[in-house]
Amino acid sequence: MSFETMVALRYLAASRRRAHVALISTISMLGLAVGVAALIISLSLLSGFQDRIRSQMAQRTPHVRVSPARGPILAEPDRVRQALASLNGVVSVEPAIEGRGWASGSAIESTLPIRYRNAPEGELRALDGGPPPTRVSAAVATRTRTAPGDLLRVTSSRTRLSPLGPLPVAIVFRIADIRRAAALEKTPDLEIPEDAARVLAGLPSGARAYEARLADPARAEMAARAVSLLLGPSYRVQTWRELNAPLSFALRLEKGVIFATVALVIVVAALNIVSNIALTVVEKKRDLGVLTSLGATPASLARIYLTLGALIGALGTALGVAIGVSASLLLDRYEVVTLPADVYLLTHVPFAVHPREVALVAAFALATAVAAAALPARAAARLAPGEAIRLSR
Amino acid sequence: MLAVKAEGLSKTYMDEAAPVTVFQNLDFDLEEGVFAAVMGPSGVGKSTLLHLLGGIDRPDAGRVEIFGVSIEELSPRERARFRNERIGFVFQFHHLLAEFTAEENVAFPHRIAGISAREARQRAAALLDRVGLADRGSHLSRSLSGGEQQRVAIARALARGPSLLLADEPTGNLDSESARGVFDLLAELHRERGMTTVLVTHNPELAKRCDKIFNMSREGILPATRFSG
Repeated sequence: MSFETMVALRYLAASRRRAHVALISTISMLGLAVGVAALIISLSLLSGFQDRIRSQMAQRTPHVRVSPARGPILAEPDRVRQALASLNGVVSVEPAIEGRGWASGSAIESTLPIRYRNAPEGELRALDGGPPPTRVSAAVATRTRTAPGDLLRVTSSRTRLSPLGPLPVAIVFRIADIRRAAALEKTPDLEIPEDAARVLAGLPSGARAYEARLADPARAEMAARAVSLLLGPSYRVQTWRELNAPLSFALRLEKGVIFATVALVIVVAALNIVSNIALTVVEKKRDLGVLTSLGATPASLARIYLTLGALIGALGTALGVAIGVSASLLLDRYEVVTLPADVYLLTHVPFAVHPREVALVAAFALATAVAAAALPARAAARLAPGEAIRLSR
Repeated sequence: MLAVKAEGLSKTYMDEAAPVTVFQNLDFDLEEGVFAAVMGPSGVGKSTLLHLLGGIDRPDAGRVEIFGVSIEELSPRERARFRNERIGFVFQFHHLLAEFTAEENVAFPHRIAGISAREARQRAAALLDRVGLADRGSHLSRSLSGGEQQRVAIARALARGPSLLLADEPTGNLDSESARGVFDLLAELHRERGMTTVLVTHNPELAKRCDKIFNMSREGILPATRFSG
C-alpha cells in the first residue's frame, strides 16, 4: 500500500470522530448510494420491459431473412432454402410471400391499405369449408371496425387479365385472431395462409424471400454471416435485429436518455464529495505542510485526496449497488408493482438486472467521485507548505 | 565546505491587511558539522529563515545553497527528494500526524521515499529505541507527553539520516526538564551523526551549549560568540 493510500484510509476512518466531517462524509456517501441505486433500479425497470419487447420481437420476426439483392423474387429459391436449412440450430425455414393491398370490413368506407404475408406454417388453421382464416393487427381491426369472427375482404394491388380486361384479385377471410404489437415492430398488418398469399401475390411457386428461425435468436448474426458466405453477394441477408432496427434504436435511445437523466443524481452527489474533501484539505493543512517538509511531492499530496475521493466513491457505490440490485430483484421476484393486464399484456412491472449495466453505473459513479475529488486535490497540491505550518501554530 | 549559504534573502508575507516584510537582503553562512543556535526576538523571521533554508518556502529574492546545491534550481520533484534525503525538520509544536502512531509517524519519511511498509516500520522502531521510546511505538501521538512527542518528532526528522537538521524552537513548548532532555538528545545525535544543525531557540542557557550563536534582528543576522566545548 502506498503511503498516500495509507493516509487517505486513516483520514476516512478518523473522520468518524470529527462530527461535522463525519456528517458530510456520510451525506456524500449516502447521496452517491442513492444516485447509484436509483440509476440501477431505473435501468432494471427499463431492461425488464425491453427484454420482454425483444423476446417478443425475436418470437415474431424471423431470425435470418434472405432476399434478393436486386429484383422482386429469388432467382434460386431452392438453393436459398437449402443454405438456410443447413445452418446449425435451425428450427424452421419458410418462404415469405408478401404484398400490398386493401382490406375492407362490412362498412365499405373503412377500406385501408395493408401489407399481407403468409403466416408461419401451422399457425393459422383453416376452418372446414369456410373462408380462409387471417390474423390481423389491432390497428387493422380498429380501423376496419372488425372483430374475431368477422369477414374481411382483401383486394390485391395486382390485377389479373380476363376476357373482360384486367380484374382485381380479391379474397374474403375470416378473422381468427387479433394481434397486439409494439408500434415500431416490423410485422405485417395481415397474416394469411400461404396458398391465399400466393394467389394474392400472383406467385404460384418460389418466394420473395426465405426466412429461418433459430433455436437461439442470439446466434442470428453468426448464422447470417455463414449464409452470406454460402450464397454470395447477389443475396441480401438480414438478422432479426436489422429487420427491427428502428425499434432497437428506439429502445437504446430510451435507455440512453434515462441513464443521462438519472445519472444527474450522481453528479449532484459528487458535489457533496467536493465539499467533503475540501473541508478535509482545510482541516489537514498542517499535515500537508509537514508531509512536504518530510519530502512528499505536490503530486503525492494530490493523490492522497484523489484516493480519499475514490474511497468515498467506492463505499457509496458499493452501498448503492447493493440497494439497487437487491431492490430490483425483490421488486421482480415478488411482482410488487402490478399493472392492468388488459392494457399492458403484463400483470406486473418486470425488472431485469443486467450485470453489464450495473458495472457501467458503478464505473460512472466511481469516476465521478474521483473527478469531484480532483478539484480540492489540486488545491492541496498547490498549498504553500511553509505557510501551512506557519499559520497552524 | 559550507553547509548553508544564503545570500540576499528577502521575504514578504501577504497579510490580510497589508504586506509584512519579514527580512530583506539577509546573508547567512554556516560551515559543515556546526551546531548553531539562532536567537532573536519574536517576529524577526527565525522560523521563516528555517523554512527558506529547508525549501518549504521560497524567498522573494536571494538564493539558498545547501551543501552546494541551489534549492531554487531544483524542480519541485527534485526539491522534495532533496528534503527527504538531506534535510530534517523539527517544529516547535512537534506536528506529528494525529491519526498515526509514533512508529508510523517516524516511518513516514521512509514510506515517502518508497521503502516498503515493513522495512520502514523496522527502521522506525530502531530509531524510536535510540530516542528512548522503544515501548511507545504503537501509541497514537496524542497520547504521548510533550517531551515524548518532541522526541518522536526528532526521530522522524532523523529517519532518512539527513545532513542538515533544522530545529525550530523544539524546546519552546516544554517544561525546563523536558527541554533539557530534548536538547541533550539533539546534541548527542548531532555529534553521533556528524550533522549540521540549526537550532532556533529563546533559551540562552541552551544556546550557550551550541558551537555557534547567531543573533537575528531587524537589521539582519550576526554571527556571535563562539563557545568551546
